[in-house]
Amino acid sequence: MRPFELSLTDAATEIAAGRLSPVELTDSVLARVEATEPALGAFACVTADRARADAARAEAEIAAGRLRGPLHGIPLGVKDLFDTAGVPSTASSAVWAGRVPDRDAAVVERLVAAGMVLVGKTHTHEFAFGGETPTTRNPWDTGRIPGGSSGGSGAAVAAGSCTVALGSDTAGSIRIPAALCGTVGLKPTYGRTSRRGVASLSWSLDHVGPLARTVRDCALLLDAMAGVDPEDPATVDVPPPGAVGALDAAGEDLTGVRVGVPTNWFFEHVSADVARAVHAAIDRLAALGAQLREVTVPHAEQVLGTQWGILMPEAAAYHRERLRESADLLTDDVRLGLEVGELIPATDYIQALRMRTLLQRGWAAMFADVDVLVAPTMAFAAPLVGQRDVTWADGTVEDVATTLIRLTCPADLTGQPALSIPVGADPAGLPLGMQVIGRPFDEVTVLRVGAAHERAAGTAGQLAPVG
Amino acid sequence: MDMVPRPSDPEATASAARAARLRLPTERLPQVTALLAHVQAHIDRLDEVPLGETPPAAAFDARWER
Repeated sequence: MRPFELSLTDAATEIAAGRLSPVELTDSVLARVEATEPALGAFACVTADRARADAARAEAEIAAGRLRGPLHGIPLGVKDLFDTAGVPSTASSAVWAGRVPDRDAAVVERLVAAGMVLVGKTHTHEFAFGGETPTTRNPWDTGRIPGGSSGGSGAAVAAGSCTVALGSDTAGSIRIPAALCGTVGLKPTYGRTSRRGVASLSWSLDHVGPLARTVRDCALLLDAMAGVDPEDPATVDVPPPGAVGALDAAGEDLTGVRVGVPTNWFFEHVSADVARAVHAAIDRLAALGAQLREVTVPHAEQVLGTQWGILMPEAAAYHRERLRESADLLTDDVRLGLEVGELIPATDYIQALRMRTLLQRGWAAMFADVDVLVAPTMAFAAPLVGQRDVTWADGTVEDVATTLIRLTCPADLTGQPALSIPVGADPAGLPLGMQVIGRPFDEVTVLRVGAAHERAAGTAGQLAPVG
Repeated sequence: MDMVPRPSDPEATASAARAARLRLPTERLPQVTALLAHVQAHIDRLDEVPLGETPPAAAFDARWER
């Protein structure tokens, strides 16, 4: 196995045992970047020189007996929405071309302190306002989109051009590319991880989290990223997740775990391949001892109105000056979204915030008898580049932009932790994802269910055959 | 609830943009009008749910030191 093919967990084991050096690993990953970038365009910028220097430093520290932990010397991709000190941070926008912050985003600061090696900034749909990431292609079929907005992170992790990556999730932007590119992606609970230094899309819905090859890799990142931050007033002072320890102690047995299976919303207007793959995954969870319980999703018909009613005005407020001073530099779809956001009355915004309260209460009640909810992450496999609509079996035509967020945005509205895991492929070999949604701040149970499925399915860490 | 239907035409969009103090070139009005109508159709479904005394899920913390 070549070093770039290793999961974070396996690479960390090899490094700790002295069988792999961070320099070898980083060189292998950078060679993979070179081989795959012409086809993928996953990176807004590659920081090869810095990565080699950081890897050499990590190698020297580890050789001197100062291994900082499992993240030490591991190559990391950071979504271009996140500030990185001394490295261009442009949110994949011409508006911010040449912008170089002098301070890392809070979560980047934590991961750099843990010894991670920055290999580059991964592309985002401009300012995270979209689910496609038009700069980037899907590593399983370069005629298709990787999803977004963390599309560069999804494509890079799936291709092996970074070991793990960071993403943000406001309507699904971690889980969408994770599902369409065949990686694992974790949206932690709202308030678990700091957004300081990450360009906002919608303050009250933004989350940051990891994309990785395995569930345990996500747990390692979560443990390092989590924590209250006075500079992000949304963060909550709760005990650390202790995700890796809990995951390693839990094992594969899911006896006693109550898994909610939705009877509405999540299986409506999804492809037959998605429904089949997710139901097979649910059967696998039952075989591992989980108790399945049917549940009804509350206020499903109000989900999209609540999402758009909050996100669009908040995005328009954040970009108010840019829309007036630099509109010509914005891509057309982002400019259009911001213009529409300007025209939503404040009362509609407040009604959406009130509806969000009801959604939260409704989901809490739905969780009375379940520990997690499982559902498709995406209604379809990766759509074609340029595809605008999808026609469902009943003849309904839906715009792709809505399809991309329809099943992921509920967990952004309720703030609950949500993990997307690969659950197979369609006949063309395109990955399909299932999300596991948990109780607030109970990432451990979400990760436990995901890891048990991953082990049972035996598909952990599969890389896309690109390059 | 007696909700007056929202206008959905370029003229109404231009008027709303003026109220928002946003310069919206004439050639952009059709696509802005179309997306606005799409988003409003979703938002209008919130009217189906009686919100009663439900407070907004807004975030404000009056503490000075955190």
